[in-house]
Amino acid sequence: MDLFLQTLLNGLLIGGVIATFTIGFQLAFGVLHVIDFAVGGWVVLGGYLGYYMAAGLGVDGFLAIPVAFVLFGAIGYLIGPILYNVRNSRTARPELMALALTFGLFTLLRGGMLTAWGFNTHSVPTALSGESLAVGPLTVPLIRVAAAVFAVAIASGLFIFLYRTRYGLAIRATAENRQNAALMGVDIRRLSANVYGLYAGITAMAGVLMGAIFSVNPEVGLRYTLFAFFVAVLAGLGSVGGALVAALLLGVIEAFVATYVGSSYSLLAIFATLFLVLLVSPRGILRHGL
Amino acid sequence: MMSIKSKVSRRRFLGGSAVALAAGTLGIPFVRTARAQVATFKAGVITSLSGENILGGNLTKRGYDLWAEAINAKGGVEVAGQRFKVDMFYGDDQSNPATGADAAERLIVQNEVDVLFGPYTSGSTIAVQPICQKYQVPMISGSAESPNVWKAKPEFNFGIIPAVDTTAGKSLAVLAKLSNPAAKTIAVIGVNEPFSKETGEGFRDGAKEAGLELVAYELVPASGDLTPVISKIAALNPDIVAVGGHEEPLINVVKTSKSLNFRPKALIMHYGVTDPAFAQALAADADGTCGVSVWLPSVPYKDDVFGTARQFAEMAQKKSGHEPDYTEAACAASGLVFGDAVKRLGKKPALTPEDRVALKDAIAATDIQTFYGPIKFEKEGNHYHDNVQPVPVLIQIQGGKTVAVGPKEAAAADLTYPLPAWK
Repeated sequence: MDLFLQTLLNGLLIGGVIATFTIGFQLAFGVLHVIDFAVGGWVVLGGYLGYYMAAGLGVDGFLAIPVAFVLFGAIGYLIGPILYNVRNSRTARPELMALALTFGLFTLLRGGMLTAWGFNTHSVPTALSGESLAVGPLTVPLIRVAAAVFAVAIASGLFIFLYRTRYGLAIRATAENRQNAALMGVDIRRLSANVYGLYAGITAMAGVLMGAIFSVNPEVGLRYTLFAFFVAVLAGLGSVGGALVAALLLGVIEAFVATYVGSSYSLLAIFATLFLVLLVSPRGILRHGL
Repeated sequence: MMSIKSKVSRRRFLGGSAVALAAGTLGIPFVRTARAQVATFKAGVITSLSGENILGGNLTKRGYDLWAEAINAKGGVEVAGQRFKVDMFYGDDQSNPATGADAAERLIVQNEVDVLFGPYTSGSTIAVQPICQKYQVPMISGSAESPNVWKAKPEFNFGIIPAVDTTAGKSLAVLAKLSNPAAKTIAVIGVNEPFSKETGEGFRDGAKEAGLELVAYELVPASGDLTPVISKIAALNPDIVAVGGHEEPLINVVKTSKSLNFRPKALIMHYGVTDPAFAQALAADADGTCGVSVWLPSVPYKDDVFGTARQFAEMAQKKSGHEPDYTEAACAASGLVFGDAVKRLGKKPALTPEDRVALKDAIAATDIQTFYGPIKFEKEGNHYHDNVQPVPVLIQIQGGKTVAVGPKEAAAADLTYPLPAWK
């Protein structure tokens, strides 16, 4: 029974960890209608920021979280309009061009990181790294709790922002129908830049946490991109709430399969879940997706 | 009329200039190289210069390059009293075996290399072997550790590092013998990819010989979360946890174990622990982790090119800023095998196809002493063309440094056992 509860806890916590970087991914897709291949690149960059801040300034890795938001938010804000222009260009398949652009951006980020920082694996030291709390028979890794809390906070914050503010309304309107939103006076170009900035900032913040929980090197980005894509499809593309639910579900499935069946079957179980959910509900787990 | 004439002459002038310019840019350097060209041996290196194995790929490249620099500094490889320098050519397998095979073919066909130095991963090595066979070009592999490389009985490939099935189990026996109170149980984790899985199997099979009871054997995907596996193993509370994997999963095993407050009495891994980046990434948490090494800078071997093992380590450290590990050393030693074989063969560059076949036979007859240790290839059996001479040393990270702790005759420090609880 102890192992069962521990497995459930592990699954929920890893789900929370995965959700940290898929929520922003969903937001960007909802508004820009672009599957951003660069998501893993932003995660890894956040991890490196945490590592270099901790190593260079001797501060706690967590201090990099707000810095990551501001820094990568600004970079995302500058990239947003380029993506917008490509996505709305008059080429035959603008959506494919945008996909190629983000793939190129990811390759550029990966290559740049390799050149700048080498290929060694680093870790972001934080006060919570390796700390755990014993709750009865369970061991609760505090850094994972922090990541899960972060994911819930970001998702809740985004919900409040999207459903309780005027700007959130504009974002939702743009996600729903770009043309109509533009006719209602929404500056789509600026909004897209803001959303991409917000997304890049959130994802890089998640990257600091990922670097603290796991480890960071330029090559792990692709893994995060694939995971974001899995979760996004299960959640329904563009559904922020669905991302949280889908990530938690995938985390729990992975944990139970790894514990009771065997780790080598966990990916198979994830694919099977994806297949079944898409069969029953093609718009994702909460039926909110596009 | 005048204008037409003028146009024609301008065209001729421009055409003539273009030809002259082309001759200047292409022809003159060509003439220069032709004049300056002295026969050299061409060596091709296939390794992971990008992709997920880039760390190890660069380790192997550094090792091969160290030999090229050292031998060129001496004037080159000696053949019949003359010395010939070595030119290195590189092919990136992008951490993908099929790309490695393409790169090998390109090095052989386009660059016309006389010898190949093998990839970082065993997967790529297995993919490159048929290419070596097809073009009959010998390859010396300074890194491959999978027994499957040698089970295939490759005619043209030779390995410097003993296959992992011969080293993982042996080191476990050393660890079990040194443990006090004696270790009784073990759990083995292997990352589900060629080298790591075979390392896991080596630990699993070695456990029996070491008198340990195997309580869990788990294959994990390279990208999965390790929390469930570590939780499961923690519930079984084994004395020893052994892990087969490359750097990143190894780092994550330690981090996950600490986050679940689980520390076995001994944690042993194979490759990656000996790389200084491992201890750097984990800081104090790396302390106590055991590993297996077939070479250390403190071994008592030497040769004419690098000097002693310590001198080699100093040379490598000067070059890269890191103390070399056994892969880097084995790659550098691969060059020594080539130098010795070509000297015995007595053929000057460039080698003809017949010479390359004869070179393969000369390499097979290798029996030398190097800074890395003795090198002599198996002539039959499951380790055909593998150098199984080196004796594995059990190492442990103590105070951030890698020290030999067993067997007793190689030990520089006592094994810390059982490991203390996490701080």
